Amino acid sequence: MSTSWHSLLVRIGERCAAYGGHADAEDHIETCFNSLLRDLHHHGNEILALLMQCVEELPHKDPLYGTLVGLINLENTEFVEKVVTQAHDTLQAALDSGNCNQIRILMRFLTTLMSSNVIAPGSLIEVFETLVSSAATTIDEDGGNPSWQPRADFYVFCILASLPWGGLELAERAPEDLERVLAGVEAYLTLRKRNAGSALSVFNIQDEGVEQATEQEDFLEDLWSRIQTLMENSWRVESVPRPHLAFESRLVTGPSHEFGQVTCPDAPKLPTNPTDVIMGKKREEAELLYPRRVGRLRIFPAAKTDETMAPIDRFVVEEYLLDVLFFLSGCRKECAAYMVGLPVPFRYEYLMAETVFSQLLLLPAPPFKLIYYTVVMVDLCKALPGAFPAVVAGAVRSLFEKVGDMDVECRTRLVQWLSHHLSNFQFVWPWEEWAHVLEQPKWSPQRVFAQEVLEKEVRLAYWERIKESLHSSPNLVELLPPKLTAPIYKYDDPQAVSAEEHRIATELIMMTRGKRRARDIQVYIEEKILPDYGQKMAIEVAVQTFLYIGSKSFTHTVGILEKYGTVLSKLAANNHSWQTVIIESVAQFWKNSAQMTSIVIDRMMGYRIVSNLAIVAWVFSADNVNRFHTSHHVWEVLENAINKTNNRTADLRKDVASVEKSVDAATAALAKAVAKVEAAVALLETATDDETRAGAKSKLEWATSAQKKAKDEESSSQESLEVKEALLLRALHEQEALFMAVYQNFATVLTQRLSVPLPSVEVVKTDTEAEHVEDPMAVDQETTVGAEDGDNVEIDGERRNQKYSVKTNGVSTAEELEVQEQLTWRKCTLGYLRAITRHYATEVWLVMDRIDSEIFTDTVDQLVIQTAYSGLRRSW
Amino acid sequence: MARLFKNPDKLSAYRDRRFSGTQDEFDHALRTSVTVYVGNLSFYTTEEQIYEVFSRTGEIKKIIMGLDKNTKTPCGFCFVKYYTRDDADDSVKYISGTILDDRPIRVDFDWGFQEGRQWGRGRSGGQVRDEYRTDYDPGRGGYGKLVQKELESRRQLVDYETPVGGLGSLPSYQQQSNSTGGGGGGGGFRNRGNYKRQREEERAPADGVKRIDRGPRPEKNPRFREKGDSDDEDGGKN
Repeated sequence: MSTSWHSLLVRIGERCAAYGGHADAEDHIETCFNSLLRDLHHHGNEILALLMQCVEELPHKDPLYGTLVGLINLENTEFVEKVVTQAHDTLQAALDSGNCNQIRILMRFLTTLMSSNVIAPGSLIEVFETLVSSAATTIDEDGGNPSWQPRADFYVFCILASLPWGGLELAERAPEDLERVLAGVEAYLTLRKRNAGSALSVFNIQDEGVEQATEQEDFLEDLWSRIQTLMENSWRVESVPRPHLAFESRLVTGPSHEFGQVTCPDAPKLPTNPTDVIMGKKREEAELLYPRRVGRLRIFPAAKTDETMAPIDRFVVEEYLLDVLFFLSGCRKECAAYMVGLPVPFRYEYLMAETVFSQLLLLPAPPFKLIYYTVVMVDLCKALPGAFPAVVAGAVRSLFEKVGDMDVECRTRLVQWLSHHLSNFQFVWPWEEWAHVLEQPKWSPQRVFAQEVLEKEVRLAYWERIKESLHSSPNLVELLPPKLTAPIYKYDDPQAVSAEEHRIATELIMMTRGKRRARDIQVYIEEKILPDYGQKMAIEVAVQTFLYIGSKSFTHTVGILEKYGTVLSKLAANNHSWQTVIIESVAQFWKNSAQMTSIVIDRMMGYRIVSNLAIVAWVFSADNVNRFHTSHHVWEVLENAINKTNNRTADLRKDVASVEKSVDAATAALAKAVAKVEAAVALLETATDDETRAGAKSKLEWATSAQKKAKDEESSSQESLEVKEALLLRALHEQEALFMAVYQNFATVLTQRLSVPLPSVEVVKTDTEAEHVEDPMAVDQETTVGAEDGDNVEIDGERRNQKYSVKTNGVSTAEELEVQEQLTWRKCTLGYLRAITRHYATEVWLVMDRIDSEIFTDTVDQLVIQTAYSGLRRSW
Repeated sequence: MARLFKNPDKLSAYRDRRFSGTQDEFDHALRTSVTVYVGNLSFYTTEEQIYEVFSRTGEIKKIIMGLDKNTKTPCGFCFVKYYTRDDADDSVKYISGTILDDRPIRVDFDWGFQEGRQWGRGRSGGQVRDEYRTDYDPGRGGYGKLVQKELESRRQLVDYETPVGGLGSLPSYQQQSNSTGGGGGGGGFRNRGNYKRQREEERAPADGVKRIDRGPRPEKNPRFREKGDSDDEDGGKN
């Protein structure tokens, strides 16, 4: 029996076995209600717990749960009292801890409870007013803390977001109260700063050299306008089920419960010296705690999405989808099933694709790892095999069209996702549609994109497999990485090295194969190589030898570096230029495998053979700078280095925190031991007869030894705390130095190139921009139509070659192409500057004062500073 | 998150019989481990491919390929060790069931790698599941080992000739890998190109047994255990 109410509660509203395959929600509520009534006496607490869990984790069914509670309210008010109390306590706890999803969902649930007559409209209004007034106080210049606007925005968002679930009832039962709340919201909206968020939009176009977001949508204003339309439509929402209507006559007879007050915690105090940097840091903290939930990305024409539903329905469906994505992450079957089976009376595949893509490309970061969205997309394609794959393909085509204006981080994510997605579907893709990229120059963003997707595909499979997948347009093989990923061992090539070098290399190989100790090899290098051939040769031959021996696999490489890494680190100890030679040797050796290059450099940093600073120096070396816009490879190396550095400090912070705890414990234990000794001493002093004296003595002895032990423990934990703190301090220094180096290098290379005037910049720019200004969200109608039919429709040929038509029709000169390439380089490099700043904002804020004073001086191009600031969303 | 549909007590359906501790200790090991077991790999899948997929949930510390204890070649499983539990968690959550080398791979928590666990535990050197399989799986060496033996003995009985064509395209690769593969234990020169190309030929498996069978034979379960019936076709053909 107990399992029966369990599945009835969880599966309510679904076509499933628990309800005999029927899909009528009202029937389900009645059935579930009757079953619960029978079991409430025995299983009240379990039912309460499960109900609250369902309310939270399956929030698209909250109207059903609200109605259910309303019905129970007629029979068992005691239980419903518990529901209300628990909802209250949980909401208060969520407000205190800043649990955004819980706050938002509980407010929705409260609204449905109000609709079902469980709580009075006044109670709900009271919660709304508390939140509005907290929001208004927060952004008030006097007494508030405007840097906490993200939380204020979030509170107001929660109010508006719950209205689709009960606006109608509130307007009927408490129209004046509702009006007052909405007036409060409106007042708030006029006071707050608008979130243009240009640094957070997926697409940017250049306007007078400054990156401009193509979408200037502010999430709160957007929702506000949707709610206003809803109001004009008398609060009718198609996408929200209203099961309580069927039970209305019964529900009105139930008693309504007091919800009780909630309080919003105060925002942190305004810092006493609110400098630009300090306020920025605080806002960054607030944004991390109250992150932007959605960055709406419009991929398809409105005819496929917005025009098929009311404005509020788009919002509601997005909420449904985001909730499923959030709460059912890791339950793949259920996640896909709920996403495709939402309780709405219209189709929403296009909106669903846009929503998943919006999350995948959400800036600064999506709530989950990228691979989660990959898996979701795969599962949705499998759940809707007739419809969804074509929609996804249409989205890819549309995004590909605009890839030149796409934020570089989003582009990288899209490459990662698409390659992995295709690897789950036998690498089937209509490559012939993209064959035209071969006519484009090597640096054209579309061509680079196609090339990166193919390179990632090869990493996931193997060269021949991917070549096969290009059968429809074999010419694209040109874009594949080298067929042989074998390393280049230069000492095997008699043309490249002298006989002497060859002999030495062979000797080293023999020694390494002979498993000689690292020490022996080091002696050999010091005696036989360094004196005659110098350091550079020594480093190169050592690197090449070790990598050659370890080239069989990742594990072999790791093994060899573990064994002989010390030889290399001694050769280049504390010397960044020699370490850069090491990295360059690695890059030469693994020239044919971007993956192995980045893995080896990463491991070498792990073994401290090379420092993060050496990696930065290598990334910004002349050859690599020239490749900034043609491939992601060097950026991958840079990002790995930054991640590793940040991981070290994060790990050490955790270590310090846990050691601090054990120090506290040890200190407490010591204090206790001391008290015991004192007690024993007192006992001894007051002892009057031999027997008690003897007893006290032994007690004292025991207590003293315990005290000594506690003392030892305390000092040893103190010591290890000091060690950890020293390590953390060192790691923080390294992190600071790393970011200083990164910004210094960006400033230098960018300033250098930006200061060179481009002759025909204006002409070229207006040409390419015109297209976007006219139709910034341009989507080929044909493409998407084709997608719907599941066909691979030719993309409009004229449009496709517009940008680089220069090359084929001979209008353009080589010089103009060069200008275009320069522009692409600038856009791309500035794009990486912004993306890296945005991605590591927390760490960058820590060193911002130094960057401002030491790097961003007058000699640096303004555009560099402006771009970095926009990455931090810092005002300029 | 998502406690509703998850049984938190059930971490893995598989209980390693070589684990020496109690069930509780085993569960504890699974709950805290940063290592995952990866199954249903193709024999041809490389460490680098595994690295590419598994690094998508976090930084990888180690990959240990499962090897056939006789041939010392990959036999279709591996262990991936992460630095953090969260990353291992995510790889079980997300990567399990995804496709690698056109096969759905399985990812489970593992109680932690120990020397010796890299070897296949099957009688013939590979994984136990490859002993008894009766389907033809080109990514895992064709038929199961028992079936292969059965076929071998039948073939000897029939005493037919070995068709030459199947190997015709292979020798050049073999020569190459012989010349570059010298150096013995671990010192070999990786020539992925050749290795991969051999894989391209995977439909012409390396040992004689499978090569002869595969063309005309139905791919699924020819039911060899019941002697005499499904081999008729084979015999007739030859």
